[in-house]
Parts: sequence; C-alpha cells; structure tokens
Amino acid sequence: MITHQDSMHILLADDDEDDRTFFSEAIQELKMNNKLTLFKDGNELMDYLVHPDIKLPHVLFLDLNMPGKTGIECLKQIRANTRFKDVSIAIYSTSSSEKDIEDTFIEGANIYITKPNDFSSLKKVIQEVVNMNWQFHSSGLNIETFFFST
Amino acid sequence: MKILGLYKNSQIFKIALAIAIVVVCYIASVFYSQMQKLDSTVELIANSNETQLELEKLLSVISIYETSLRSYIITKDEAYIKNRFLSRGKIEQNIKNLKKLTSNDFTRSQHIDRLKKLIDYRFKLFRQTLIIAKSKNVNRLELNSKLLESSDVTEMMKSFVSKIIFSESAKAKIQNNNHQFELQDSITTAFLLVILSLVILFLSFNKMNVDIEELKKANDKLKLLNESYNTAEMTAGFGHWMLNLETSTYTFSDNLFRLMGVEPNAFEPNIENTIKYIHPDDLDYVTKVHKDSLLNHQSTSMTFRFLTPKGEVRYIMGVGSFTKDGNGDLIKIGVNYDITNQYKKTLELENNNKELKYINTELEAFNNIVSHDLQEPLRKIQMFISRLEEKELDLLSQQGKDYFSKIRVAANRMQTLLIDLVNYSRTIKGDKVFVETDLKMVLDEILQDLSSNIEEKKAAIEIGKLPTIKVIPFQIKQLFINLISNSLKYSKEDIVSQIKITSKKITEKEMRDYKIINKEDYYKIVITDNGIGFKQEYAEKIFLLFKRLETDPKYSGTGLGLAICNRIVENHKGFIKVKGEPGVGAKFYVFIPKGDLL
Amino acid sequence: MKLNFNYDGNIACRAILQDQLEKLDIKYQLLDLGQIEISDDVSEESFAELEISLKKYAIHIIDNPKGQLIQKIKDAIIEIVYEKEKFPNITISQYLSDKLNFRYGYITNVFSEYTHTSIENFIIIQKIERAKKLIIEEELTLTEISHELNYSSVAYLSTQFKKVTGLTPSMFKRIVDKRRQLSNNE
Repeated sequence: MITHQDSMHILLADDDEDDRTFFSEAIQELKMNNKLTLFKDGNELMDYLVHPDIKLPHVLFLDLNMPGKTGIECLKQIRANTRFKDVSIAIYSTSSSEKDIEDTFIEGANIYITKPNDFSSLKKVIQEVVNMNWQFHSSGLNIETFFFST
Repeated sequence: MKILGLYKNSQIFKIALAIAIVVVCYIASVFYSQMQKLDSTVELIANSNETQLELEKLLSVISIYETSLRSYIITKDEAYIKNRFLSRGKIEQNIKNLKKLTSNDFTRSQHIDRLKKLIDYRFKLFRQTLIIAKSKNVNRLELNSKLLESSDVTEMMKSFVSKIIFSESAKAKIQNNNHQFELQDSITTAFLLVILSLVILFLSFNKMNVDIEELKKANDKLKLLNESYNTAEMTAGFGHWMLNLETSTYTFSDNLFRLMGVEPNAFEPNIENTIKYIHPDDLDYVTKVHKDSLLNHQSTSMTFRFLTPKGEVRYIMGVGSFTKDGNGDLIKIGVNYDITNQYKKTLELENNNKELKYINTELEAFNNIVSHDLQEPLRKIQMFISRLEEKELDLLSQQGKDYFSKIRVAANRMQTLLIDLVNYSRTIKGDKVFVETDLKMVLDEILQDLSSNIEEKKAAIEIGKLPTIKVIPFQIKQLFINLISNSLKYSKEDIVSQIKITSKKITEKEMRDYKIINKEDYYKIVITDNGIGFKQEYAEKIFLLFKRLETDPKYSGTGLGLAICNRIVENHKGFIKVKGEPGVGAKFYVFIPKGDLL
Repeated sequence: MKLNFNYDGNIACRAILQDQLEKLDIKYQLLDLGQIEISDDVSEESFAELEISLKKYAIHIIDNPKGQLIQKIKDAIIEIVYEKEKFPNITISQYLSDKLNFRYGYITNVFSEYTHTSIENFIIIQKIERAKKLIIEEELTLTEISHELNYSSVAYLSTQFKKVTGLTPSMFKRIVDKRRQLSNNE
C-alpha cells in the first residue's frame, strides 16, 4: 500500500527551461518527499522510459508543445504500452483550449494542467495532482475514469 | 405561335373546301339526274299526246268512212266510196304509228292490238255492208242488221278508243304533275348549287385575304425579330454562324464580324478568312475541334481568343451543335460569346481569393502568436512577478511595492485581453460549420462551465423554452457564455442576481423597427438580468470593439465580450439588440434567422 | 473485440479472498467490508503466502491499528455513498462516530494525517466517483443523479464535479464515449 510516507516518483518533460525550474522549485517547496526527474524533450523522456530497469514513475507531467516528439505523440506511445498502465499522465501545457483538453483525455491522459501564471497556483496544482493521484491509487477508485483538469 | 395557328387554320380550311366541293359535286349530279328525269317525262307526255292524236285521227277516218258508206247506201253514188282504199291505207299508217308509239309499253300495245282487231272487224263489216248495198236486190233486213251491227261495233270502237284516250290523258296528267314537281326540285337544287358555290367563293376569297394579311404581319414580325436579334447580339456580345454541310457554305451574323473587330460582311464567311482573326496560340485547337465535329457531328464547346486587327484580344466562349434546316440539309450552328469581361473578373477574383487566403493564413498565424507565443512570455512575466512577490517584495520600498503591484495588474489585464482577442479572432476565422443544435443543451453545458462563477455570485439562472437551431456550435456557446458572464459581471451586490434566458415571439414593433418581413424568419432569444443596467443611449455603442461603459475598476473588462457577441450573431446572419435601464437591468435580444435564410 | 462490463468490486474482492483462503486451507469468517476473521493457529509461513498471493490483486493486509481504522472509515463512507437509502436520517459524522466508536474529531484527525485529505473531501471524491459511474451507465439523467447523490441541484453537482475532475459532466461523458469508440475501433 502506498502511503504518504512513501516517496512519489514524478517525471516532467518540458522543453522550457524556466518552466522546469519553476516546477522543481515548487516540488522542493512543497516538501512532499518526492523524487523528480526532468527531461528536456519527448525523445529524452521516451529513451528513459523504454529502459527496462527503471522504477516506474507515479505521475508523468508532459508538455504538449515540444520539439522533436510532441507531448501527444509521447502520450500515444506510452498508452500503447501496457507496462505503463498504472502511470498517471498529467498534461502540462499553456493551451487551455477545450479541444486540446478533450483530445488528450481521449488519448489516455488522466490529468490536464494549464500552466498557471503564478507560483502559488503552481504549487497548489502540483499538490492537488499528487494528492488526487494518490487517492485514486490508494482508494480503489476507477483509474479508467480518472480525469482531473485544472 | 401565330404562324403555326395560321397553318393549322389553313389545314382546317382545306378540309372544309374539300367537303364543300364533294357536296357541290353531289348536288350537281343530283341536278343532272333530275334533268334527265325531266327530259323523259317530257317525252312521255309528248308520246301520250301523239297517241291521243293518232287515235283521234283513226276515229275520224273511220267516221268519214262510215259517213261515206251511208251516203253511198242512200245515194248509191260511187263517188262516196271511191276513196275507201285510200282510207284503209291511212288507217294502216295510223296503226303503224300507234304501234311504234306504244312499243315500249306492253299494256298499251295490247290495247292497240285489240283496237286493230276491232278496226279489222269493222272494215269487214264495211265490206259486207257494201257488198249487200251494192247487190241488185238489196236485202233491206240484212242491210239493216249489218248497219246496226256496224253502228254497234263503231260505238264499241269509239268507246274503246275514248277509254284509251282517257287513260292516256290521265297518264299525261300524272306525268305533267310529276313534271311540275321535278321542275320545282330542279330549281331548288340549282339554287342551292349557286348559293353554295357563292359561299365557297366568298370564303376562299376571304381566307386568301386573311392569309395574305397574316403573312404580311408575320413577315413584319420576322423582320423586327431579326433586327432585335441583331441588336441583342450586339448588346450581349454574341455572334452566331451557320454552316450548311451539304453546300459547305457559311453564314455569319453581323455581330460575329464585330466580335472579330471588323465591319459586318467585311469578308466572305469561310474558314480561311476567319482563322486570320483567331489568336495564333488557339488556332490549332480551334480548327481541330471544329473539323473533328464536322466528322462526328458532336456538339462542341470551347474557349479561345479572337485577335482583332487592332491587336485587341477577346476571350470567346464558342459552342456549336448540329441540326437540320428546312430543306433537310445538315447544318452546324455555332454561337460565340465574348467573355472577356467575365474572364478578367474571374482572374481578378482568383487573385483576390489568393490574397484573401494569404491574409487568412496570416490571420491564423497572428492568432497563434496571440494565443500561444504572446501568452508564453506573459505567463513567465506573471510567474516571475509571483516569485518576486513571494520572496523579494519586502526588500522593496513602499513606492517600489506600489509599482510592483501596478506591474502585476497590468500583466493580468494583458492576459485577459489576449484571451478575449483569441476568442474574437476565432469568430472571424474558424470553421463555420452549421449544425442543428439544441440551445437548451448548449445552455445546460454553459451553466456547468460557469457553475463556480454562478455559485460565487449566488445568481439564480432560469432557462425557459429554447429552440433547436442550425448554428456554429462553438460560436453560439461563446455567445451565451459572454452574455451570461456579462450579466453576472454587472450584477448588483445587494440583491440576488436573476438571469433569465428564453425564446420569445417577435412583436409587431420589432418587425417594423428591424425590418423583419416575416415573424417566422427569425428566432428571438431574450436574456434578461436585474443588474446595474445602463442608459439606453449607449445601447448601440455597447457592441463596439473595445467600448466599455463602466470605468469603475470593480467591473473590469476588455470591451471585447459584447463585440464578440455581435460578431457571432452577424456570422449567423442575425442581429443583436439591447435595452437597458440604469439600476434596473439589461435585456439582450438575439435574433437568429431560421435555417432557410442562411 | 472490446467488451464493456460492470462489476461489484466488493463481491469480486470477497470471491478472491475466499478463493485464496481456501487454497491455503485457512479457516476464516467474512465479516464486514474489508475485514475477515481467521483462526489464530495459522502458521507464519502460510500467512506470508497469503499476503503474497493477495498482493497480486492489490489487496493488502493492514496490520497497524490506525491503518485499519482508516480502512474502516473509508468502507463506512463508501457504504453511505452507495447505499444512502439505508441511512435516511443520519449525518455522516454521526454515523462514523457511532459505527467506529470514536469521537468524530479523532476520526477526522487520523484520516487527514494518513490520507492527505479530509473526510469531507474523501466523501466528495466518492460521491463524484459514483456520479461518474451513473453518468457512464446512462440510465439516469443528471437531475436524477444529483437527487440520488443528495445534491440540492444539478448546478451544485456540476460545480462539485468540476472541482474534483476539472470537467463538466457533459465533457466527462463525451470523453468517456470517445475513448470507448477509439478502443472499439482498434
């Protein structure tokens, strides 16, 4: 059973350096005993994920608009592999268009986060996502219908 | 049409004429047979009369004979009887005549035969009487008895003859009567014949007159038609030509010459002369199409250019088809149409279209810049502002803090502006696909979207009857989101905000004011609120881009929301109106045409 | 071929427990939700074996008392959310403290400490989870669902639905439908 004492393994793939910095700072400030791994683009992320020895992450934050492999391509590829079925995928994008939200959920995303425009919101969002993810995984809720958008 | 009628009339007339001639022939033959009959009646009457005459002559001869015999008996003078053989000859002649006259009638000739026997017997008696009278010693008794017998026979003969004469005269009378009748009939027939002939003559003459009149009219009309056709060709830029395939002769209309840039009939119409005016680049194609069509007799259609002597290029649309003329000759008729203007306009339009497409892609690029590329750095600015605010704000002086807060407000305002701009540009471009949409469903969804906002304002939203309309779904959703958001934003703080959305009937006044022809042409949806309202004089301005009525920072807005609404309604070929009253509220009226107006 | 089906997790879980316990010859008695009673003479070995075999089904044996309490709280909440007709006139706090024999304050504290969330929040999550199921099942309208889940209005349900999922019920429905379509087309 996962408890809050266990460390959460979180991945973030985002080509924007500032955004990666904001994100890791937020995780640090939250003091949630989480392990965060950062990727500069989709290809880097996929190269890491295909490695059979890695410990699977709990949540993967995925920027949509990335050079090389885009977020949606990574999403499709990950969801096509049953090995990652328990990994929650959080889309982390500037776009707030309903179409992007719907499309990514349909492709198998669980969470959709519009990049917030202030730091406290970012912290709050990350906390909420981690929390919600934990609730879903710990309380026997249906992961299939685990959608969370903010 | 009229000519056709005339033709039809003459056909009927021909039939009538034929019937009339048949009738005349019939009546003439009837007249002829009547004449024949009349002739034979006259003959019959003459025969009868002659018979009577002969009979009477006969009787008189016999009487003379008798008288002579008597005179001889009394006087014994031989002179009385010297002519007796002569008389006998006369009678023979009479009988012969009678025989001849009655030869065609069996009863009458029988009568004559009997008469002859009586006469023979009478003469026998004459002879016997004469013998007795001539003897020396006349036996008075015997003579007397002979005379008596003679007298009896004569009487008998006389009565027989008179009987015949009577029957003859009776017959003659009947014949005469018949003759009268037939004569009457013949007169009637002759009269009829004359009248009918006259009628036919008159009708023919009249018809001829009318025909000539019609022909003249038709001819005039044809002339006029020809003239107006020529004028029409000139005005419309048409020209036509004809090729008789049997005689290989071409006919060009006046305007066809003009299309080639020359005066009518400037040259003899044939291929060799014409190809001089066809643009060299099109020549091969045009001649090939034309010659092929002469072989396979298929209709042709092509676009080519005339090059006029002045060097002007004319774009021509030429069509040709085959038909038979009045003589049954196969002909090709072609129409050439000057499409230079259309061609140039199409070119222009194509260019404009290209430009428009280019502008549209530019707009889309701009849209992308606004929605993504501009928002990216802005979001970062806001992010760093929040970082500074959290960590470093205390290091600033009071003035620095004030400036800083102004930076934050400005950045936030820019963000809402960018979002609204994206929405606005989406109403200009974007896929305008019209779909049957249940507005009730749209509003249910909107209420879900706005639920936190509604909750926060503690607003009561009532949704009345709403139609299903053919609209651009995302735009119509945006429209109602903006209108409801507007009502929520400008709600009064002290009372429960009430917003009502419902469809209503179009009033007579609205029909007059907004020039609506038919009430059924539009849906009218009314959004009513009890917010702060506004002065009616601003009713038109409120929909203008970047126009804001409220300056109170409490009611922050970009001035784009209602402009977007206006734009969306215009995209649906409808219109939006508003009525406001300060402190009471606002009523927005959305008029969207029903499907068939789009 | 893809099949859609529904199932009762509770019954499934019981069946799995029964299977596994019988396989190991452990005498047991099924109690309330998430609780069984087994005889004390079970060897260390077979207990460990049981723990391993149940782990496959994501069933964990909870052996610390607070963990057990939390499981009990969760079970009670699920019971209330899914079978509300059984508890017509009782507040959840009342029910919890009655059932678990602790002060409500204590219960909430333990719960928050272990789960990163409040009991209230957990109730909301469970209610929305049930709402999701009902929406997918398509048998009830949104109004009926809001009634079933004791919401005063559709708007309130929508608000809470949006708070928990970030989506409106309509959008949620649309996404689920399209996901199904997508997997059916494969």
